Amino acid sequence: MTVNDAVLAPAAAEDGLVKPPANPKSLRSLGGQTICNILLGLFGILFLLPMAWLVFASVDTHASWGIEVPHLTGHNFADALSGSNLESIINSIVMAGVATAIATICGALAAYALSRRRIPWKGPLLLGVLFLSGVPLAILVIPVFQMFSTIGWLSLLPCSLFLAVTSLPFEIYLIKNFIDAVPRDVEEAARMERASTFHILTRVVGPLALPGIGAAAIYGFVTSWGSFLVPLVLITDPTQQPGSIAIFGFIGNAYVRYGDIAAFSLIYAVPIFLLYALSSRLFRGGFVLSGAVKG
Amino acid sequence: MASPSNPMTIAAPAPANAGAGARPAVPEGRPADRERFQWGSIALLAPSMVLLIVLFIIPVVYAFYLGFTNLQLVGINAAYWHFTGLANLHQLLSDQVFRTSVWLTLIFIVGSVVGVVVIGLALAVLMQTALAPLRILAGGIVIIAWMMPAITAGMTWYASTTAGGTFGTLLGMPNSDFLHNEPLLIVTLANVWSQTGFAMMVLGAALRNIPRDILEAADIENASRWQRFTRITLPLLRSTIVTTVLLIILISLANFGLIYVMTQGGPGNATNILPLYSYQQAFQFNNLAYGALVGNALVLLCAIFGVIYVRVSRART
Repeated sequence: MTVNDAVLAPAAAEDGLVKPPANPKSLRSLGGQTICNILLGLFGILFLLPMAWLVFASVDTHASWGIEVPHLTGHNFADALSGSNLESIINSIVMAGVATAIATICGALAAYALSRRRIPWKGPLLLGVLFLSGVPLAILVIPVFQMFSTIGWLSLLPCSLFLAVTSLPFEIYLIKNFIDAVPRDVEEAARMERASTFHILTRVVGPLALPGIGAAAIYGFVTSWGSFLVPLVLITDPTQQPGSIAIFGFIGNAYVRYGDIAAFSLIYAVPIFLLYALSSRLFRGGFVLSGAVKG
Repeated sequence: MASPSNPMTIAAPAPANAGAGARPAVPEGRPADRERFQWGSIALLAPSMVLLIVLFIIPVVYAFYLGFTNLQLVGINAAYWHFTGLANLHQLLSDQVFRTSVWLTLIFIVGSVVGVVVIGLALAVLMQTALAPLRILAGGIVIIAWMMPAITAGMTWYASTTAGGTFGTLLGMPNSDFLHNEPLLIVTLANVWSQTGFAMMVLGAALRNIPRDILEAADIENASRWQRFTRITLPLLRSTIVTTVLLIILISLANFGLIYVMTQGGPGNATNILPLYSYQQAFQFNNLAYGALVGNALVLLCAIFGVIYVRVSRART
């Protein structure tokens, strides 16, 4: 094996130089590639099928649970964005926005301290934070409900605060990894100039770790925006409900408007799509965001 | 400070134990300060730590206590409740629905993990060979499915699998209600559908990190495609697959919204996995304390998975 390695390594390296970095050699056999293409196409169609209803029904005047050639209309989208529906989307924006702001600011400060400062028991602390990011929300809502109901906090903003806490562990971890990668001598130079910690955070480390902070903020927004269980339990006032809960109002009605449900579901997904597109521009591949539990 | 490169060259080889000695070139002053504890660090950590303690750690402990009380959502026991010892635990152990719920949870998790990892890996491998336009199209669809919020995914799966939905129509059985007949299967499929994109991306990245010369060496040794996959690719992906499995377990347990939108645990408890049963007991049957105890059982399950996850991710970094 060692002999083979020694012999083959230069050959393979040369090979790589001559050819452009395409697929590995033997995988390029024509039959194999055709099969791969067909299989991938089948998977694509299977994954696309469940989405079909969403798209067709959202533009259909006579939408039902079934799938049919739509009688095109824009009414469903107009309905989904009017009156109490619009209110619920605004609630969602407030809920996710406040949660993101709290989690990202607190998370960035803690991440900086954990990355650069000497902290007693730093190892166990980081491990604890990592462990928390895996705790499912389902077990937290009952005690938090009891705490919040005792002090009369069952409303939108306290709900945001709790959502911030649930995304905080992973945000700390994510931002810390980015700050770790920022060279220390930049910061040393600023410190030589007697810059305060606040200055270093906002003018030196902050901008350099911005992709990480941005990614963490997007993660926080996406999880809060999509959260369902937490607002279901922690918000009692129907006028404060976010869109994820308001959708049940559509079904509860005596006269179910399928087209509106589809349009609203689609609209509710749009901000997520946009943010993931943004995050994949921040750094290649958006999957870094998905390391923790989605609410 | 002599030159700006100085701290770097010293910090780079041994950042962890830089304080132990070995800093001859740096004059006493700033760099050494970093190693000393600063009270300012507390101020930086305080907001996060206070939030995490008050709204995360205390609730977990509080939930444990609540599980052994007679707290109710409404009624007399909502205001006057007290510790009742092991009464709830006795109830739990003889609770048929709870036992079913544990089984359903395990089936749901195993089904989801197998589905997500197998399909995710298959997609990642196929994408390496397939034509670029097809790769982008299929990959895009799978990733869009993964990005969808739980309510959107739940709604569209409900519509597609209920009587008269897309699947029934395409299979020529427009009136059969798959969601009602095979609820656990459909809910698991929906979960697989909404998580596969994640596995595909993580495993795809790991696949791209496998050095090509290893595969080419195997090629020259006349290894078949299957041999190359099972002897080289899979062993090299092992730790990534383990991490993915554990994350998928945790994400699936947290995917409350998807199942709630589709079935609300029904029909007749057929999809009533532990997170839903806990919610149902607490907020629909008003037994907050009992719901908390069911949640504790879930904590136990997650703690086991969590410990494994931390160990694995520590071993990797």
